[in-house]
Amino acid sequence: MTTLSPPRPGPDPARPTDRAPRRRPFLRRYDWDAYLYLVPAFAFYLVFLVRPVVESIWIALFDWDGITASEWVGFDNFAGVLADPQIWQATLHSLVFVVFYALLPTALALVFVGAIARIRVRGLAAFRALLFVPYILSTVVVAISWRWIFAESGPLNTALRAIGLDGLTRAWLGDFTTALPSVGIIGTWVMFGLAFVLFVSGLQNIPAEQFEAARLDGAGPVREFFAVTLPSLRGEIQVALVLMITAALRNFDIVWNTTSGGPGTSTTVPSYFIYREAFVTHQVGRASAIAVVLTLLIFAIVGAVMWLTRDRDAAAPRGGNR
Amino acid sequence: MPTRRMRLTGAAAAVTALALGLAACSAPGGARTAPSAPVEEITAPVTPEQVAELGDVTLSVWADQGEQDFMDQLVPAYEAEFPNVTVDIQFKSFNDLTATVLNAMNSADAPDVAQGNQGWATDGALVKAGLIRPLDDVADAYDYRAAAGDAITQLQWSDDGASFGEGSVYGMSPDNQMVGLFSNRAKLAELGLGTPTTLDELEAAFAAAKAAGQTPLVLGNADKASAMQTFSILQGALTPAADTREWITGATGADFAVDSNREALDRFAEWVAKGYVSPGYDGTSPDDAAAAFASGDGVFFIGGNWYAGAISDGAAFDFTPGLADGDHATSGSFGMPWHVSSKSDASLAAIAFVGMVNSPESAELLAATHRVPIQPVEAAGDDAMFAALLDASATQLEGAGPLYWYDWATDTMFDTFTGGLQEVLAGRESADALLDRVQSDWVDFHTD
Repeated sequence: MTTLSPPRPGPDPARPTDRAPRRRPFLRRYDWDAYLYLVPAFAFYLVFLVRPVVESIWIALFDWDGITASEWVGFDNFAGVLADPQIWQATLHSLVFVVFYALLPTALALVFVGAIARIRVRGLAAFRALLFVPYILSTVVVAISWRWIFAESGPLNTALRAIGLDGLTRAWLGDFTTALPSVGIIGTWVMFGLAFVLFVSGLQNIPAEQFEAARLDGAGPVREFFAVTLPSLRGEIQVALVLMITAALRNFDIVWNTTSGGPGTSTTVPSYFIYREAFVTHQVGRASAIAVVLTLLIFAIVGAVMWLTRDRDAAAPRGGNR
Repeated sequence: MPTRRMRLTGAAAAVTALALGLAACSAPGGARTAPSAPVEEITAPVTPEQVAELGDVTLSVWADQGEQDFMDQLVPAYEAEFPNVTVDIQFKSFNDLTATVLNAMNSADAPDVAQGNQGWATDGALVKAGLIRPLDDVADAYDYRAAAGDAITQLQWSDDGASFGEGSVYGMSPDNQMVGLFSNRAKLAELGLGTPTTLDELEAAFAAAKAAGQTPLVLGNADKASAMQTFSILQGALTPAADTREWITGATGADFAVDSNREALDRFAEWVAKGYVSPGYDGTSPDDAAAAFASGDGVFFIGGNWYAGAISDGAAFDFTPGLADGDHATSGSFGMPWHVSSKSDASLAAIAFVGMVNSPESAELLAATHRVPIQPVEAAGDDAMFAALLDASATQLEGAGPLYWYDWATDTMFDTFTGGLQEVLAGRESADALLDRVQSDWVDFHTD
């Protein structure tokens, strides 16, 4: 059957067609012509995605300055990266960012969504658009704005002084203890809109009957949230977490434009070292090795999150998920 | 149904794509570019007649965006003198330029002329890869060597790019950049003080300013580099400039972990501890700090002469070079050097361009954009701040000279030094610990 032919009539479309009484050899079982339509897209994917990835992994096996002849070093670059305490420290910072860029926005957005599930919000579309703005703003603009907010004489400190909390004021991004959470808060602000918009659209797909039924059964707002809203948003939460965790782990632009990894090394992230090794110290092999390790880390964490948030009730369809 | 021909085409496309993917699997990088066709040595400035023999050419130039005002003057003058050449100039931000110039110069259509940056990361890599032409002949023909004096060493490399500070001149740069002391004249007068010229006087002025409720020193270190530049006024006063330069250019046996540098670090940390430095400096951008100082905050600002763009009022502010204790040494160097590509097929036109940029005649054009030329210029006119910049530059070049920049020492020194200095100033690391880290970074780099 080609993908373009109309559905074949018959009681069981999954059964092999009657027109082919003999069992087909494996390669003939599908109609390979259909795949021809995928060739242009696949070629594009191969050249612009698969090839650079393969190339990065390959380069990671060399000592190379990016210009002159390279030298095969096998897995030395990986060993060097894994033995570098600075990289581990940076990875730890990234994991802190996962809290601020993924967990916190998800939790906040769920609280908001739980609240608006019970009330009719006038102008929800405008509200939603407004909350989404941080996510679509250029990160450089975001970083510069927050640099101003967090500055010694910025609005945050002004507000603190106005309510008599002078003791708390500081240059938030320039302080060893507050720089990391401050950069994290920027991520929470950016990502909240994404989570909120995803969850609101998910909310609108929940049949009103479910809420009605819950209320008839006497569920309060909290019970309703955990029994109806939260389970129905499982898919959206999974998507949001995957997007936001990926953003947290490969975060570079906001860090670069607010603290450049400082003060000291208190806000370094792995991407910072990828940039430095590739463009400043010209150790392209090592930069590739860090990139490969970071990619594997992202795969591992995202994979774990997808597994934890999988649909446990649905029977696993044969031949894999979807 | 697709025809057989379509299938074959599709299969061919897939195979081609796959091959492209696998093409990655040969060792990356090529051999060092052999110095292309023997470079034409020049003995006198390139003449329009010589360049005319090239026929109509387009000269591709990569420059830092800070050069734009100067280039707006220079490019028309060049095109008028060499009418068969069209200059195609691209401006890049400093970060973009230093991150990409190496790959650009290595590409098939490399720019004929590009600016680099002294130190291992950019110029060293360009020399090592054989991508730029030695300019010894050009430096002589355009009277550049004499104007540069001893500081020419910052442009010299061994031909394999393995050592810095001696060898051939590989770049030329027309302006001098240096860290100096900006001071608020009115506030100093209120304190009954003149511009300090020694370390003792400076620290006495800090104490007096603090006692009078002023911020003694305005600092913005969000870029991490500014505190390192500020540090140079102390380090330059306490350690002989020649020692520091030897260490930066990688002379065998040089050591940064010496008592005078420890004292400099301890004193700087003491400035912070005593409240001499504006609070929240690590979270303040240097531009914001300079703007605050220009609008009347604080008594002193230590920074590069390029901040004279923001702190421009020579009646209100003074600019002086490093302290007399160290014969006026502070961090400083020439601006970003101009290079001629060794791949250029119009090298004479390229040489003519770099020569003109660095010629005595262009010094006036440069001075007109308020940058401090290396070549001598007429008086600064009635701009008091610019006059101060010219004086300071001359004083330093005649004195101990610039220290260069600490982060030139190794390709990772910027992070080691700036991050560590932040730790020391915050009292989280001892001066000894930082000096150890700095020196072992240096040793690692030079034993590689």
